[in-house]
Amino acid sequence: MGAVSAFSLNRTIAGLALGALLLTGCGSSLDENGGNGSGDGRSDGTVKIGLLVPLSGVYAPIGEDLRDGFQLYLDEHDGKLGGRDVELVTADEGEGPQTGVPAAQKLVTQDRVTAVAGVVNSATALGLRDFFDESEKPLLIANAGADDITGTRKSDYVWRTSFSNGKVSAALGPTVAEEAEGSVYLIAADYAAGKEMVAGFRKTFEAAGGKVAGEKYTPFGTTQDFQPYLSAIRKSGAKAVFAFYAGAEAVSFVKQYKQFGLAGRTPLYGTGFLTEGGVLAAQGTAAVGVKTSLHYSTQLDSARNKEFVDAYTEKAGKSPTVYAVQGYDTAGVLDTALAEASGDSGKALVEALRGIGSINSPRGTWKFDADHNAEQTYYLREVRAEAGTAVNTVLGELG
Amino acid sequence: MTTYLVSVLNGLAMGSLLFAIALGLSLVFGMMDVLNLAHGAVYLVGAYVAVALVGDGAGVAPFVLSVLAAAVAGALLGGLLATLTRATPHHLDQALLTLGVALVVAEVLSAAFGNDVHSIAAPAPVGGGVTVLGETYPVYRLLVIGFGAVLAVAVYVLVERSPLGSLIRATVADRAMVAALGVNTGRVLVGVFAAGAALAAVGGVLAGPILGAQPGLDEKVLLLALVVVVIGGLGSVRGALLGAVLIGQVQALGTALLPEYAPFLVFAAMALVLLLRPAGLLPARSAVHA
Repeated sequence: MGAVSAFSLNRTIAGLALGALLLTGCGSSLDENGGNGSGDGRSDGTVKIGLLVPLSGVYAPIGEDLRDGFQLYLDEHDGKLGGRDVELVTADEGEGPQTGVPAAQKLVTQDRVTAVAGVVNSATALGLRDFFDESEKPLLIANAGADDITGTRKSDYVWRTSFSNGKVSAALGPTVAEEAEGSVYLIAADYAAGKEMVAGFRKTFEAAGGKVAGEKYTPFGTTQDFQPYLSAIRKSGAKAVFAFYAGAEAVSFVKQYKQFGLAGRTPLYGTGFLTEGGVLAAQGTAAVGVKTSLHYSTQLDSARNKEFVDAYTEKAGKSPTVYAVQGYDTAGVLDTALAEASGDSGKALVEALRGIGSINSPRGTWKFDADHNAEQTYYLREVRAEAGTAVNTVLGELG
Repeated sequence: MTTYLVSVLNGLAMGSLLFAIALGLSLVFGMMDVLNLAHGAVYLVGAYVAVALVGDGAGVAPFVLSVLAAAVAGALLGGLLATLTRATPHHLDQALLTLGVALVVAEVLSAAFGNDVHSIAAPAPVGGGVTVLGETYPVYRLLVIGFGAVLAVAVYVLVERSPLGSLIRATVADRAMVAALGVNTGRVLVGVFAAGAALAAVGGVLAGPILGAQPGLDEKVLLLALVVVVIGGLGSVRGALLGAVLIGQVQALGTALLPEYAPFLVFAAMALVLLLRPAGLLPARSAVHA
């Protein structure tokens, strides 16, 4: 082909490459569910609940676990919450606010649900805050971890059954300060959650006398090769590493940590998302020895948890994750609140949520604090290989 | 300093994989004038073949088997795509058609394997690490570099020095003349398409122990392969090699030296090449050279 056509063709693909780059940014979300728009969610026997979880995009595995946990609770209670039949309307949250916010608005305005539960993405949760606050509908956050959701941007109508980023990592600080034989390197994905995780950890870690060898944030979502960062860690002379990654990045990071010879020499700590569920399954034995903090592990030794693990495994065909427990507990919280509430209005439900007391969960007992955040025990977990499978063994409770 | 040398090594491993993946895209585009946006999906098929056959259980036999299975699956998919795209002469139609195929394949894979991240174990004998310049380096990545070198030489010999290669080059240069000699040119073009797709699928298996398999990886890989093709020049084996090695180094050294700008450097490199050498660094000059 001649130089001229090669030139224009080359421009064509360059354009297409850019187009593909833009395309990857916007996931598609089509409502599979037309919604008839009728009904006000309070016909006598039934109550309408909206479940907003990602069923497409990178967060889909978390969304599926949340949904399965929620569904398990319903199945165990004959499909009833607060003694009433539940009509569950599920909507796809997608990857970010551009899909999550309209989906939530549709649940409230078109489907007229009594309350919405779910939300994995923190930006979506923060984007929804004003809408739920103004329309006086309860929003039960079952995963999104941004500190602000129950911090500076808290609302009477927003309650969180999961965790806040800073608290999960803060729980680990004193332990690492005590166990590490020198300075500790901090590394996390470069986005809000990564920064909050590191900030929370650093605060309690330094308060307990720990020394930081270095702090590094890696580009979020695009880092596949951690070798340059791992070399930097080695060069810093750090005696231990604290890391926050989730999903595909957690798999790559932990596997490469082992491949490049740091595992076994420099202990790796992190928040539990580093070695949870499908991520741990993909890491396999490469993750052995990684110590993390989280509010749940399948290995928790309580009758309540064993019962839950058995029921969930039978239903979903795989072990539960922290996300499944969060979905399960969200349904449990709604069950109690709906039973106690004097009517279906947002105000009545929120009043009932305030008086809900402690919740008996597979993760242990927990309750809402004054900011509507989950106040719970965090556990120190270590990945161990049991019969060839890696599991998060519980070493003890954290502060 | 040694840190950067290890990064260079890493860039070479990544470059080898990119070469295997981008080569098919470049040849198909340069020779058949077909823009195959399903190339990333073919790669992902290869990666999931490895998930199914290798998974966590490591061993040489299953790994070799999955390389062969991926090659067959890739060739079949490539043959299908060649047949489909030959019926649609316009670039935009081809782009839409192959993009549609890519979406369908990705959705089928996600339905079959779920949305979780899967990792693929390197074969047991090369699963460990060796000490290179005082740092532990995975043996598997060194093998990938070796594979890239062997592949580059093999493709060069095949296209430049073999009778089959001259047939391919002749078909590209003047299809009507070759047809007049009694050769079924359609078969040659489908063969090139299938071989390119097979190579991409094999790349999916070989990249498995490094990049794993997950939904969305097809888009990332396609994007990188397109950048390699733009930088190297269309339809050129040497261009694909140069582009792949360059992008591998830009990624590896970019992350080591300028971590904040690393994700953007790859595209900056592409923009620079487009400005200075719009046809790519080593374009197929008359489509006769490889």
